[in-house]
Amino acid sequence: MLPLFVLVPLALLMIVNLPVGQFLRRWSWGLTLLLTIAQAAALICFAPHLKAGGFLATLIPLTLELDNLSCVMLLAIAIVVGASLLVARGTVSGMKQLSNFASLVLIAMAGMNALALLRDLFSLWLFFEVVGVASFVLIAFRRDRGALEGAFTYIILSGVATVLMLGGLAILMLVGRGESSPLTFANVQAALQISGGLTAARLGIGMFLCGLLIKGGLVPFHGWLPGAYSAANAPASVLLAGIVTKATGVYGLMRVVSSVIPPTPGVNAVVLFAGAAAVVIGALGALYQSEMKRLFAYSSISQVGYILLGLGCGGPLGMLGATLHLFNHAIFKSLLFVNAAAVEQRVGTTDMTRLGGLGSKMPWTNVTSLIATLSTAGVPPLSGFWSKLIIVVALWQGAHYGYAVVAILFSLVTLGYLLLMQRKVFFGEMPAELANTREASPSVVISAVVLAGITFGMGVLFPLLLKTFLLPVKSIFPLQ
Amino acid sequence: MNILLLLILVPIVAGVLVLLSRKTIPHTRESATMLIALVNLIAVIALFGQDLPYSHSWGPFKAFSLDLRYYSFSSFILIAAAGFTLLVTIYSWRFMQDRAHRSQYYGYMLLSLGFTNGAVLADNLILLLFFWEGLLGTLFGMIAIGRPGAWKTAMKAFIIVGVTDLCLMLGIILTGTMAHTFKMSEISLPVQGLGITAMLLMCVGATAKAGAMPFHSWIPDAAVDAPLPFMAFMPASLEKLLGIYLLTRITLNLYKLSPDSWVSPALMTFGCITILAAVMMALVQKDFKRLLSYHAVSQVGYMILGVGTALPIGIIGGVFHMVNHAMYKSCLFLTAGSVEKQTGTTDLAKLGGIGRLMPITFTCFIIAAMAISGVPPLNGFWSKEFVYDAALSHHVIFYLAAVLGSFFTAASFLKLGHAAFLGKRDPANDNVKEAPVSMLAPMILIAAGCILFGLWNALPLNHLVGPSTGLAAEAQEHAGFHLPSLLLATLTCVALLGALANHIIGARANGGGLHAADHIQYAPVLGSIYKKAQTDGADPYNFATRVAGYFCTAGWACDKAVDWVYDGFTVWLTRTLSFAVRASHTGSYALYVLWALVGAAAVVIYLTRIMP
Repeated sequence: MLPLFVLVPLALLMIVNLPVGQFLRRWSWGLTLLLTIAQAAALICFAPHLKAGGFLATLIPLTLELDNLSCVMLLAIAIVVGASLLVARGTVSGMKQLSNFASLVLIAMAGMNALALLRDLFSLWLFFEVVGVASFVLIAFRRDRGALEGAFTYIILSGVATVLMLGGLAILMLVGRGESSPLTFANVQAALQISGGLTAARLGIGMFLCGLLIKGGLVPFHGWLPGAYSAANAPASVLLAGIVTKATGVYGLMRVVSSVIPPTPGVNAVVLFAGAAAVVIGALGALYQSEMKRLFAYSSISQVGYILLGLGCGGPLGMLGATLHLFNHAIFKSLLFVNAAAVEQRVGTTDMTRLGGLGSKMPWTNVTSLIATLSTAGVPPLSGFWSKLIIVVALWQGAHYGYAVVAILFSLVTLGYLLLMQRKVFFGEMPAELANTREASPSVVISAVVLAGITFGMGVLFPLLLKTFLLPVKSIFPLQ
Repeated sequence: MNILLLLILVPIVAGVLVLLSRKTIPHTRESATMLIALVNLIAVIALFGQDLPYSHSWGPFKAFSLDLRYYSFSSFILIAAAGFTLLVTIYSWRFMQDRAHRSQYYGYMLLSLGFTNGAVLADNLILLLFFWEGLLGTLFGMIAIGRPGAWKTAMKAFIIVGVTDLCLMLGIILTGTMAHTFKMSEISLPVQGLGITAMLLMCVGATAKAGAMPFHSWIPDAAVDAPLPFMAFMPASLEKLLGIYLLTRITLNLYKLSPDSWVSPALMTFGCITILAAVMMALVQKDFKRLLSYHAVSQVGYMILGVGTALPIGIIGGVFHMVNHAMYKSCLFLTAGSVEKQTGTTDLAKLGGIGRLMPITFTCFIIAAMAISGVPPLNGFWSKEFVYDAALSHHVIFYLAAVLGSFFTAASFLKLGHAAFLGKRDPANDNVKEAPVSMLAPMILIAAGCILFGLWNALPLNHLVGPSTGLAAEAQEHAGFHLPSLLLATLTCVALLGALANHIIGARANGGGLHAADHIQYAPVLGSIYKKAQTDGADPYNFATRVAGYFCTAGWACDKAVDWVYDGFTVWLTRTLSFAVRASHTGSYALYVLWALVGAAAVVIYLTRIMP
């Protein structure tokens, strides 16, 4: 069953791009959207019945496994890709462009689905590159100067990441020679444990981790991120900010830290420090930003920092917080970028100094943006509150008091910069030239409403969710 | 429903209704207030002689149980309060006729009556405090409805009395904690250790209510600003009754004050200072109402002195003086009201020679003034003699202070009577008429009461003062014309004659009754003290507000500092850091790659060194 998550998008990609005229390409957007809906539905309804192995497993020689973290990732991928497609419908002009966009999204989706399921380092790297290539093109999709520049920065830093990861993999292969498959998680972990004092293995995994940090845009590896997010066109930025960098960077880190590296305080210390640095620098960078998407980009860095803070706690509670925040972040950050797309669609700019008072003209965008803002800042009862709460509690229980204080203080700063954004864009005085602004197109509004509904519903129903879903699964991450 | 509850609730409910009433039929509010005051008076007189306890507990909240007790002492105070309320209501009918805020005036009056009844009936300290604070509210209201700008005086009174009520509250809490009950009839604590603090705190609350120094300074201001019957109603009668009632309860029942304890001379000193300082201020006043109001302060000193001796005769004297004072002082305020109503002024410089035009008012004034000065055989004479006797048993200096106070009291009333009613008449006052009957009647009644209580002092001593203080035997002993000491009475008469002589000489020398005390006012040492006191420098309220002002400034500075930390420093810090972060993102690939490589090196080095 599991290979289908990779094979179906690839198959769809091939089918819609068959050289049989424009007929199939016309359908590519709709089919891709259907695919995301199907993926979400499959996960919600049949998650316990999805099994590895079977006939299809013999076709592709990949070790795929499904656990709860994978489920969460796959669900987030489906939701965010769907939102991105809806936004693309409203903002990308022309059938051809839309179909191109859908094709790129399919590649990225196949890659990310694979990442969520893979259990060996080399394939992980391989699909990082697959997703990476799709992202380069997505960032440059608009083909103006800013977009190309953003893409180029990303390529360069991704190159560095690739070199680091490949180098690390090579070292690990050398260390683990003699094994038939030296780079599966279990084998690497064994190598790290058995060797005891083998510096080479640590060097290898360390380099691999650094590659992941670059991909995830953690401080100080984040140089590419603000430019890439803000230069990409609206749907691409939703996709990138919402899920691509999470799937490649943060999810990879969570996987490697929790299942490859034997639990050590040293690694946790690195993760905690990187997380706190990202929280602080990201929030500070966002605070006086005047460009909406750039602000959200810095905010992304900051929120990813929270995920790392949860991960760095090392316990099941921290891991739960990190996973929840990963999912929540995917939802509300996509929502913020959808709102930015709505503003860009109608006003043509996301420069906040030229915006104001749009709340009365774009009520849906206004309200959904407010929900996203409050959820990001961790205001109860929205979903962001619960995940941040769990992370702070986990930090406190782990005696990381300083980090807990940082987490709380900077969620105030988060509220500060997002409310400033809210005021500059949706409240306050409206410049005269914006008097004729209309609400964004239906597909954009629909995606915003769906995302806001998920954020709100998850927050309000969280106690139920915790009771029926999270607590019964005693060990949420069996690999831990 | 229990009659005691009705005594409290009926005036309060009626007061609220009157407060809410709009202009309807003329005189409804007045007659309603009068009716309630009359019914109240009849009820308390009808109950006289009985001992009625009432208790209703609110489940587990023992401390707040509704304990009431009607017994000899409370019945005495209740009758006095009811009587004065009725008389002042009758008087107010014409006095307040053309004034604004009558709904509030009568409403507050009824509320005050209800609260007073409650405070006197209360047998639970917390309940007492509740009604006590209620009176604070009506006090504020009744002053504030005076002439424009009176709210400042009302605020002053509210702050002063409020602060002392806070002392009372602290004292009550301490007392209740030490006694393990708040029921007054069950408390009986020795005066020692923390008990002294608690007792003194409660005494501060009680004496401040009565208007003793240094909590008096709102009274002269209120005399000018508030409607005049209020002065006769609250500071002259109800508040004195309540304050001295509580003081007596504290020293007699709640605490076992013995004459040997140091608290007793302390209270006496406090009383003497109040007598002398206030009477000296009264002597030099040039306004009818202000002069009277200082006496309202001064006379409290005699009561505190008497009760403070902790001797039976002193306590009898103090309590007797309390009711006497309430009579002659309210009478005096009522005559002041008549003069104000008829001439339009109470400035002594503009008055003079109206005694002939207002003979009844003048007669009442003379009787009350003689009573307050302690001229035999009026009621004031007897109570003062008792206090003198008790003071002398402690130390001669207390006695001397009290007699000196008497001398100045007599001197100031000679001056007041001379300046207001005798001497040359201002031509503007030629057409002044006698006050209306409804205003004269209360004055006459009270003046007659002064004579009655003087000539037949066995009536109050045997039936009111004696039983209420539990000293019936001692009271009986001194009732009638049985003076404690003939020598002291003679000395008192000498002092009074001295005052008369002083007045005559002073009036001759300084030209006119108004300036009869000028030689004292401008005497070598006193002159400078008076100058300072006249410029408000001696008002403790001004000092306290100044100190409070410093605290406010300091608090404001702290607040600003905290504000600066949040609004200034934090913003500056985040802004600086934020701009630093932005400035470091130059868009240079090389820089970003460098960061990444340095970071990677750091991570790898750290990991290789730290992992096992």
